Amino acid sequence: MASFLLRRLLTALPTLFLVITAAFFMMRAAPGSPFDSERKLSPEIERAVMAKYGMDRPLGEQYVNYLKGVVHGDLGPSLKYKDKTVIEVLAENFGVSLTLGLSAIIVALIVGGTLGVFAALRQNGPIDYLASTLAILGVCIPTFVTAPLLVLLFASRLELLPNAGWNGGAPENLILPVTVLALPQIAIISRLVRAGMIEVLRSNYVRTARAKGLSEFRIVTRHVLRAAVGPLVAYLGPAAAGLLTGSLVVEKIFNLPGLGKFFVISALQRDYTVVMGMVIFFAALILVLNLLADLLLAALDPRMKLS
Amino acid sequence: MIPGSPERSQMMQAAKGRSLWDDARRRLLRNRAAVAGMIVLGVLVVLALVGPSLTGVAYDVIRKDDVWLAPLQGGHLIGADSLGRDLLTRLFMGLRVSLAIGVVATAVSLVIGVAWGAVAGYFGGRLDETMMRIVDVLYALPFIFFVILLMVTFGSNIVLIFVAIGAVEWLTMARIVRAQTLSLKQNEFIEAAQAAGLSRLAIVTRHIVPNLLGPVVVYVTLTIPTVILAESFLSFLGLGVQAPMASLGTLIANGAQDMELAPWLLIFPSAVMIVTLMAFNFIGDGLRDALDPKDR
Amino acid sequence: MRGGRQLTAAAALALAALVGLAGCGKKAAVRPACPPGQDCVLIGNAAELSSLDPHHVTGIWEARVMRDAFIGLTVDDVDGNTQPGIATSWETSADGLVWTFHLRESVWSDGAPVTADDFVFAYRRSLDPKTANETAALIYVLKNAQPVNAGKLPVEALGVKALDPRTLQITLEHPAPYLPELTKHLSMLPVPKHAVEKWGDAWAQPAHYVSNGPFTPAEWRLGDYMKSVKNPRFYGTAGVCPAAVYYYPTNDAISAERRVLRGELDVSTDILSNRIAYLQKKAPGYVRVKTWLGVAYASFNSNVPGLNDPRVRRALSMSIDREFITGKLLRGGQLPAYTFTPPGMANYTTVAPPEWSSWSFERRQAEARRLLAEAGYGPGHPLKVEIKLRNSPDPTLFYPAIQADWKSIGVDARLAQVETQVAYADYRSRNYQVADAAWIADYNDPITFLFLMRSDTGAQNYSDYRNPAYDGLLAKADAEADAKVRATYLAQAEQLMLSDAPVAPIFFYVSKNLVSPSLSGWVDNLSDRHPSSQLCRKKD
Repeated sequence: MASFLLRRLLTALPTLFLVITAAFFMMRAAPGSPFDSERKLSPEIERAVMAKYGMDRPLGEQYVNYLKGVVHGDLGPSLKYKDKTVIEVLAENFGVSLTLGLSAIIVALIVGGTLGVFAALRQNGPIDYLASTLAILGVCIPTFVTAPLLVLLFASRLELLPNAGWNGGAPENLILPVTVLALPQIAIISRLVRAGMIEVLRSNYVRTARAKGLSEFRIVTRHVLRAAVGPLVAYLGPAAAGLLTGSLVVEKIFNLPGLGKFFVISALQRDYTVVMGMVIFFAALILVLNLLADLLLAALDPRMKLS
Repeated sequence: MIPGSPERSQMMQAAKGRSLWDDARRRLLRNRAAVAGMIVLGVLVVLALVGPSLTGVAYDVIRKDDVWLAPLQGGHLIGADSLGRDLLTRLFMGLRVSLAIGVVATAVSLVIGVAWGAVAGYFGGRLDETMMRIVDVLYALPFIFFVILLMVTFGSNIVLIFVAIGAVEWLTMARIVRAQTLSLKQNEFIEAAQAAGLSRLAIVTRHIVPNLLGPVVVYVTLTIPTVILAESFLSFLGLGVQAPMASLGTLIANGAQDMELAPWLLIFPSAVMIVTLMAFNFIGDGLRDALDPKDR
Repeated sequence: MRGGRQLTAAAALALAALVGLAGCGKKAAVRPACPPGQDCVLIGNAAELSSLDPHHVTGIWEARVMRDAFIGLTVDDVDGNTQPGIATSWETSADGLVWTFHLRESVWSDGAPVTADDFVFAYRRSLDPKTANETAALIYVLKNAQPVNAGKLPVEALGVKALDPRTLQITLEHPAPYLPELTKHLSMLPVPKHAVEKWGDAWAQPAHYVSNGPFTPAEWRLGDYMKSVKNPRFYGTAGVCPAAVYYYPTNDAISAERRVLRGELDVSTDILSNRIAYLQKKAPGYVRVKTWLGVAYASFNSNVPGLNDPRVRRALSMSIDREFITGKLLRGGQLPAYTFTPPGMANYTTVAPPEWSSWSFERRQAEARRLLAEAGYGPGHPLKVEIKLRNSPDPTLFYPAIQADWKSIGVDARLAQVETQVAYADYRSRNYQVADAAWIADYNDPITFLFLMRSDTGAQNYSDYRNPAYDGLLAKADAEADAKVRATYLAQAEQLMLSDAPVAPIFFYVSKNLVSPSLSGWVDNLSDRHPSSQLCRKKD
């Protein structure tokens, strides 16, 4: 266990290092600077600004300084939000992305799980067809198609829901973005649960349980569901990454103050430090989530060895 | 599916013989969804290739009187856009661009992935460990961010979109190919080739790579739609192909802007996008079922 | 694969499920920030603020917030006209160089008195190279401002002096009748000396914020909103309607527009041009369109072979179908532009548009072809140009039309769409042939437009236009104390520049605001300035 964790950490460090290095040099290679605008800065002011952020130094030195900062947990000041540090920008927006992502995953687990269970129990019944159709649609209809269509229907035509905005996370404002984010996940989760359950339902020990006269309900809740959870947990790591990607689009369309929206804006505005901070944060997040998924998986299934 | 499972390697070994491919073809043709997918895809490809020249107007011709004409008006079968350009022509053009991006980027990922995976799997040892560790590290990168950074760094031109997306998608390919190679390596015909004194590189290129066809074909059909999606996603964020060129993604993005005023600008491109993705997914699933009888 | 047949039925079921999911929403608009009956105003303010320090911001959306928080020597009224602010009166020396401002008795939001010293401190800070104020160059008209800003003179050398706590004296480099316009600008807003000295740059955090205007920033949630509350110590606080103003960074104009229509916001400060006609029909009384002091233009890089020939530039300019762009594509009430300075500019006279502007489009095209042929371009040897444009809604809409116009006179025109940030960097480094550019007046005076083509303007003179006669006329205007005479010099300069066509003006901007009819106190005006203090929600 300890050696497993240690080994994972040892892979995580080079990954993070690579992320930082690649992002740093790509960002600096990008044409344009954070200080380009309609209005040209006078050379003196430009020099003063560059000096203020240490950008008058050679690139290599800036890189080393940046790495030193990261090691000490300092991601620097934002170049565009002049009174904020990168950490503050991240902290102020992570809550929104987290709320969105968690809500979407919970909705997807509930809806997808239920669909999957019933689809497996009544194979080729109406729910099975609904689930498999949803699965196909969920994979084939991208979020940037569902989002505008749902806005058109529920916000513009029916005027039931707000079309954008955060409003402190009011439920009305969450419904559409969470639905859009959850749909593809529902598709995948219902497929996973269905497949996992069918496999278990056909297994010998379920047959034994049936022979012993256990009720179908007990069989499903006691034995089958537990076994079907494994693939789900394994999927949660990649799912988190998928949610992050999805939230880029969703946050943009619904104008939500989350990390995804800020990432795109900051990349376009060349806010080097904020972009770097977000890339590092996301990379770390994905590493941690994958690790957690592996640990959970091992805890659920003692046969699985951590390797 | 678990690449490299014993069943699969037996299947792959048998793939040498003609009968398994015949078998697979028969199974594929029995799968109605896959057949429908192939027919639809065929139609789409034909439309993408010849469609733009069938409508009688170029995709970038601006008709000053046709701004936002609804479908069936002014000779526009499915309407005109905010500049008075024929939507049908632009849709065919967009389809062509999206399919091209899908195919080319997948080819890029195919070349890198197969080469990487085959070399790592065949040579094994230190080399394998290093190469796969690199893949592991790259896997953990938040890729969409890197694609965005790439577009930001080098500007959005179409070649770069191919390369960027292809470079992202090769990782899974490399893993699949490596696992497959590892199991192929144990096979007698490889040992025979070694005994015959073929160089290791020759063995990789002549014997290993051709035998990877099955899983690679399945993965390719599933990668193309992923790539098409990725491009549209970039277009949606304003980093896709350049105006006045169109892709399905840029058409959808523009359509979403004007959806209350001109819903056809959103609906038709979205429908084509969904149909295209579904066709690929049906074919991919069908191929997987056909090539891997285990699931039956 | 089981899908197939049942697909339609199942899709219908799925949709029904979605409707069920959405069913729990209420029909009433959500305004948790500002429930009905409360006096607050919710503004869709286009983009996020980069700072709350007036000397650290540049954007129009930022200036809007700053002008609600600070009152300079002068201030906008609801028409956007200049009226006395902290200064109640002022006089000018005969040579127009020394201005004396008399300040009213007023206090900061923490009770400290606003003194002439605060202004001296603020102007010095604004020009101090250490402040890195990006708009400092706008007030180089102040005596010694440029050397101070360049770090060549100490800040104390700046031509600004507190004669006593309530009298401020400003000395200029040359006469500038537009100084009272300029004193409303970001770079000349006062900052609280005592707070800045106490907190340093952190004074601009909401927790430490001190202002002297109708509102004081109180809460800022990045990406969500910035909230300013009424400042009870503002000298005119009795006339301030809202108790709080919320500024929302609504990057997406279309979604902001939907929020205004739903009543979630009271104002959106941007509408996409080609949606105006639709909105006027769908929501009568919301759309506020008004000529604005801004111009969209194409800049020709005169370092590029071909484009260094005025005949070629004229040909390109006259073959742009501006009426199609404004009438069919933008449709937002923009005026086709044939001159560079917008109509309605203060301190100016009218400039006659080029003769060809009254011709039919066909005749213009024929003349353009003739000019191109004269310059050596024709069917066998077409002129090739690349148009670089910013990746934003308006340019991406109308530049394809310009490309098509140029193609129709035999020019091989290509579009290269780049991100806004990259576009400006490329223009600055002259890495372009034809550039999509725009300029909005910083203050209401023609010099804010005409200085762009002066040869010493440097990077911002995108076309590298150099004409000693033009420079000479501008210099004469600068030295002229009589506003009328000055105006004629400036008009001559513009006429001269237009005939050389370093730029092709395309259309004059309109300000496009979506304002809920339940809001009173919004007056459309040329400067597109609308003090939030005067905005009032009608009681329902």
